[in-house]
Amino acid sequence: MNVVETSGLAKRYRSTWALRDCTLAVPAGRIVALVGPNGAGKTTLLHCAVGLCTATNGNITVLGDLAPGSLDALERVAFVAQDVPLYKYLSVRSMVAVARNLNSRFDQAQAEERLRALEIPPDRKVGKLSGGQQAQLALTLSLARDPDLLVLDEPLARLDPLARHDFMALVMAAVAASGFSVIFSSHVVSELERFADYLIVLARGRVQMLGDIDDLLAGHAMLSGPVEESDLVGEQFAVVQTRKAARHAELLVRTTGNSELPSGWESDHVSLEELVLAYLRDPSASMLPGPLTPDELEVSEVT
Amino acid sequence: MTVRAPVPVLPRAHGHPVPWRPMARATWLQHRGGLIGVLMLFSTCALAIVVERLTAPSYARSLGVGSVNNPSFTFLAHVVQLFPVVIGVFVGAPLISRELESGTFRFTWTQEVGRTRFVVTTLVVLAGFTVVSACGLGALLGWCAHGFEVVGIQSQWQPGLFDVTPVTLAGWALFALVLGTFLGAVIGRSVAAMAATAFSVGGLVVASNLDLVHRLLAIAPLVTSRVPPLSMAIGTLNSTSFAGGELSGSWLVRGWVTGTGGRELNGLAAYDVMDHVQSAAVRGVTDPTRWLSLHHYALWMSYQPAGRFWIFQVVAAAILVFLAALLALATVRLVRRRA
Repeated sequence: MNVVETSGLAKRYRSTWALRDCTLAVPAGRIVALVGPNGAGKTTLLHCAVGLCTATNGNITVLGDLAPGSLDALERVAFVAQDVPLYKYLSVRSMVAVARNLNSRFDQAQAEERLRALEIPPDRKVGKLSGGQQAQLALTLSLARDPDLLVLDEPLARLDPLARHDFMALVMAAVAASGFSVIFSSHVVSELERFADYLIVLARGRVQMLGDIDDLLAGHAMLSGPVEESDLVGEQFAVVQTRKAARHAELLVRTTGNSELPSGWESDHVSLEELVLAYLRDPSASMLPGPLTPDELEVSEVT
Repeated sequence: MTVRAPVPVLPRAHGHPVPWRPMARATWLQHRGGLIGVLMLFSTCALAIVVERLTAPSYARSLGVGSVNNPSFTFLAHVVQLFPVVIGVFVGAPLISRELESGTFRFTWTQEVGRTRFVVTTLVVLAGFTVVSACGLGALLGWCAHGFEVVGIQSQWQPGLFDVTPVTLAGWALFALVLGTFLGAVIGRSVAAMAATAFSVGGLVVASNLDLVHRLLAIAPLVTSRVPPLSMAIGTLNSTSFAGGELSGSWLVRGWVTGTGGRELNGLAAYDVMDHVQSAAVRGVTDPTRWLSLHHYALWMSYQPAGRFWIFQVVAAAILVFLAALLALATVRLVRRRA
């Protein structure tokens, strides 16, 4: 089962297309990083997944075949929006009470326990909490709903490194305990590898790359060698990015076959950050494994 | 990093939908600041009305029939007329606009309850609060007005007072609440929505005072009857009759005089007749009724009988409730389509 599946999804705001022909499938049980530059359509895609916006064209389903925003989907999908929009004039205790009263399966004891562990005072107004505490509170409220899918829109954007670490630690601990799926969008590419095991890169409203992070890294290499042979080497591989100096060239390529390198050329592993940045620098480059078929899903589960 | 194999998410049993009581509690938590403010205004008005009532009877009786209105009561009635405006501006207008402006709709509308049920429940809870408080305020003002009405100084037919009975005040307050909510959903900015609500509800209240009530009272066929000469006026009246007379408690719309053959006299001739009747009555030299009969004159009045007052009240409130229901549907539709 895919926790999010889209087919030709498109969303237009007046004359601007935020998403175009977006087709993807996110398998269950993953921590998915959604990456892309500003205006790539990340927030729009997440809003479509949680029912906050409706598609102009195409289809989107969550948790199998549920329509986003339907009562069945809302019961099982929790969302922490960008900038953590909570009622700033309420106390933390009242905010918890509001969330409890809007959700039938809200685990108040769990929420209060987490807030105690995070040392967030229950009587303090939400607006008086630090940015990190507000983010932790929003996450706590979402986790207390016992979701099957947790959607986080730029959760780390406003946080300092320590708060980022604490936030993601809370997410990872909850995932380890409950096994739900997570999709989070982020600009902080350097930290993705520590948390995510699945990657979606969006650019200009389209899916540019998606797949298992380990598979993506294994499927790419950084080749380096004499600049005069770079064109010849480039013909043997699908080149994502080329960097040429006076005597030396670096090619980020997809390694699909057993092509041998000419002498004088070296192959090196590519980091996730290098890979993502390379694709983002060249929006025309794309790598789309596409959604897993049921057979592929079965194989993955067995292995 | 370890890659986990995709795990199928098993469909689980659906929980029960969130009951309305918890949703109502959430509404109270979210809006208690505004509601407490409105309750304080309500209490202040109620206190002023009670004080007015306790001090009013002696004042009213000292004035006697035909005297001017009691200024403090009139002021109080105007203040109570503003109650719907306050509800619309401070409770209705921010209801959705503040969510949209601050982005908290992304929290609320993604909770299990769903955006439609959330907005409907919130509206129902706030509408209940509004109707109950407006009914209470209207009932208090009616209790206060009774002291004046029995001596013919004020009448609930009058524009202004017509709109502050428990029935119509509740209708106005409900309409204002939903209009404010609708404008907030359309505009999406709190301050702009509050200003638009103040302008539109305030404008309608003023229009009701000046014109709408008269139009409403003209929709049912008037009763026409021959009346005794005293306490009579001619022309377009749109006023209340004096207490104690034959038409006591009625809404007088038009008076005219007929002469020989039942022909209606023009204004000048009619005024001559009225002058004669009144001066004769003042001097006490002639029985006005007998004098009119001898000269084949008759005085006529078209009016809405006192017994129709509450029918008109219900009609006015029904129109307001109908408009509120239409606006509520439009608001829910806007919220559902907001994407």
